[in-house]
Amino acid sequence: MSDFIKHPVVSLPDRAPEPVFSKKELVFTEAEKEQIETFRAQYPTPESAVMKTLWLAQEKFGFLPPEVIRLAADTLGIPFSLAYGVATFYTQYYKAQQGKYVLDVCTCFSCQLCGGYDMVRYLEEKLDIREGETTEDGLFTIQGVECLGACGTAPMLQVTNGPYVHNLSREKLDALIDALKAGKKPPFVSVTLPQDEDDLGGNRRSDAEATEVGQTPPAAETFE
Amino acid sequence: MEMALFGDNGSGKTDAWRSYERVLLPPVRDLHRFDTYVGHGGYEALRAVLTREEWTPGKVIEATKASGLRGRGGAGFPTGLKWSFMPPVEPGKPRYIACNGDESEPGTFKDRQLMEYNPHLVFEGILIAAWAMQIDATYLYVRGEYADWIRHMESELAMLYDKGYAGKRILGTDFSSDIVIHKGAGAYICGEETSLLESVEGKRAYPRIKPPFPAQKGLWGCPTTVNNVETLACAPLIINRGAEWFAGVGAEKHPGPVLYGISGHVERPGVYEYPTGMLITDLIEKVAGGVRGGKKLKAIVPGGASVPVLRADMIEGVTMDAESLREAGSMMGTAGMLVMDEDTDMVKFLRRVTRFYHHESCGQCTPCREGTGWIENLVTRIDEGQGTLRDLDILLELCDQMEGRTVCALADAAAWPVRNTIQRFREEFEAKCRQSIYAVA
Ligand SMILES: Cc1cc2nc3c(=O)[nH]c(=O)nc-3n(C[C@H](O)[C@H](O)[C@H](O)COP(=O)(O)O)c2cc1C
Ligand code: SF4
Ligand code: FES
Repeated sequence: MSDFIKHPVVSLPDRAPEPVFSKKELVFTEAEKEQIETFRAQYPTPESAVMKTLWLAQEKFGFLPPEVIRLAADTLGIPFSLAYGVATFYTQYYKAQQGKYVLDVCTCFSCQLCGGYDMVRYLEEKLDIREGETTEDGLFTIQGVECLGACGTAPMLQVTNGPYVHNLSREKLDALIDALKAGKKPPFVSVTLPQDEDDLGGNRRSDAEATEVGQTPPAAETFE
Repeated sequence: MEMALFGDNGSGKTDAWRSYERVLLPPVRDLHRFDTYVGHGGYEALRAVLTREEWTPGKVIEATKASGLRGRGGAGFPTGLKWSFMPPVEPGKPRYIACNGDESEPGTFKDRQLMEYNPHLVFEGILIAAWAMQIDATYLYVRGEYADWIRHMESELAMLYDKGYAGKRILGTDFSSDIVIHKGAGAYICGEETSLLESVEGKRAYPRIKPPFPAQKGLWGCPTTVNNVETLACAPLIINRGAEWFAGVGAEKHPGPVLYGISGHVERPGVYEYPTGMLITDLIEKVAGGVRGGKKLKAIVPGGASVPVLRADMIEGVTMDAESLREAGSMMGTAGMLVMDEDTDMVKFLRRVTRFYHHESCGQCTPCREGTGWIENLVTRIDEGQGTLRDLDILLELCDQMEGRTVCALADAAAWPVRNTIQRFREEFEAKCRQSIYAVA
């Protein structure tokens, strides 16, 4: 039988694994609690504040093991099952520990045709890991992701749910990896609208940390 | 807003678009800042509807209807009509807007430009719509990946509250309405309107069965209207310049300014603001600089991954509006246009598209959950040289079994590209099957 038929093996998650964080670590500071209160005040029901609270928890703990989800649920006074359901539905909530920098390379649609997979393959080679894996030093994780809404600057990637890096090339990836190794996260880049280049002679935002203009995308070499 | 005097915004079939002056993203430096925006006539439309007697909520809805504005989120539903579906105000029953900034349709990147360069136009549009429908609060749903843009908008929104342009007693009037930004967390399905409502309520974002429609039972069971970010950004333009002006821009039955997101194999990709009804050939050749490296055009997808692909020989004289694209065999979608050059392998292209839908199906309905998976398997098998000609018919049959049989339109959106790419590039698929190790089967 050809190997394309890969029966989906759904492994059920262990909902009570050994906790990663100790009881002492599992607390929100007063400031964080206050923040969660403001989230609650934005919605008619406490359940609705769960997404923002999980975001806050992920920023603090790095990922969302069951005990962190429970902490978020308890702080909001909602059932654990609800928070767990939400945390496992959305892909940006990390269920397992990730590298310090998660490189989410878009390989979808426009990016596929403009070299998204070339960038993934190059990173794999450079970092000596496969897509979905983390380097031994715990610094980098590579993920191929769906359209990130920056198709005009394909190929592109996002660093750990944060800044976008546009118009990727191998040289740009080299520079990015070096910068990240030195602890420097890329700045927010404002991509100049083509019409602004013509009408305003460049980017319109004088507060932009960095700007870039669109480029003719490269031709993809690999497509999967 | 008196930012730009308007040129002749005539039909896209002439060259009049060349003198088009942008209104959604007018060329003003630092327009994203509250002060600059106000300095250029911003929030005058809001002030007008809140303070001038003639702008009753009903009149604002009338004007929106008369403008001919159609939703920019994908379905192209008439906005004024949608607003008029809201039931009468009932004391003690809050009313909501859910503004859709999920923008996850592959090939779509235009709402983000509004968030980056003209967020106050979006806020003003939200507040005008809020007045028209007497809304208590708006949840602006932005996809979680747009963390930087959410941060920027949060600070502009805080400024708006400080200055009394949002929240309690807006501009000193009796009207109060809140805006809350809701951050998503990575799920394409949240763009579907009822899924978005579930997500704002803090649940797993499974789309709801309609009816009841959001206007009857939306957020927390209360009347709710779902509109796209760009749709609502048109509201201030309609108030300032008049419904007639708006109706006169671009295509007759699908009028207004629109943000075209052009990506793929073009020299100059990016978001461009022009009237609706532009010739597709003009957009590729004259606006985006033509196909990259002087290559020949092979195909385009005019409005995001869900809409049917068009072969290069199908676009002559076709304009970017619902009517013309329907005749040509496609749809306007989000106006996020993907351009593919002659070297593009359509099987590989379709393979990646099917993977997207398989990944993003929420799994609620069997035809979608299983169908998207089998479609991906079959297309992958064909691409890997293990397919049979019969697989093509099985694929089309699978599409029949998915379309119109599910809770939401994701299953249809997954089936259309399959059906149309196979039909319109059948030789390519057949050629791969013939070379396959199972060619005789
Ligand atoms: C699977 C699916 C995904 C969608 N994604 C989006 C989206 O990302 N953004 C959006 O504005 N509309 C999206 N829509 C359309 C919305 O359901 C809805 O029609 C739209 O937000 C209404 O706004 P409008 O009338 O202003 O266009 C999607 C629809 C479906 C079926
Ligand atoms: S059609 Fe697909 S995405 Fe939509 S509700 Fe059903 S399973 Fe979910
Ligand atoms: S396809 Fe890569 S950002 Fe849209």
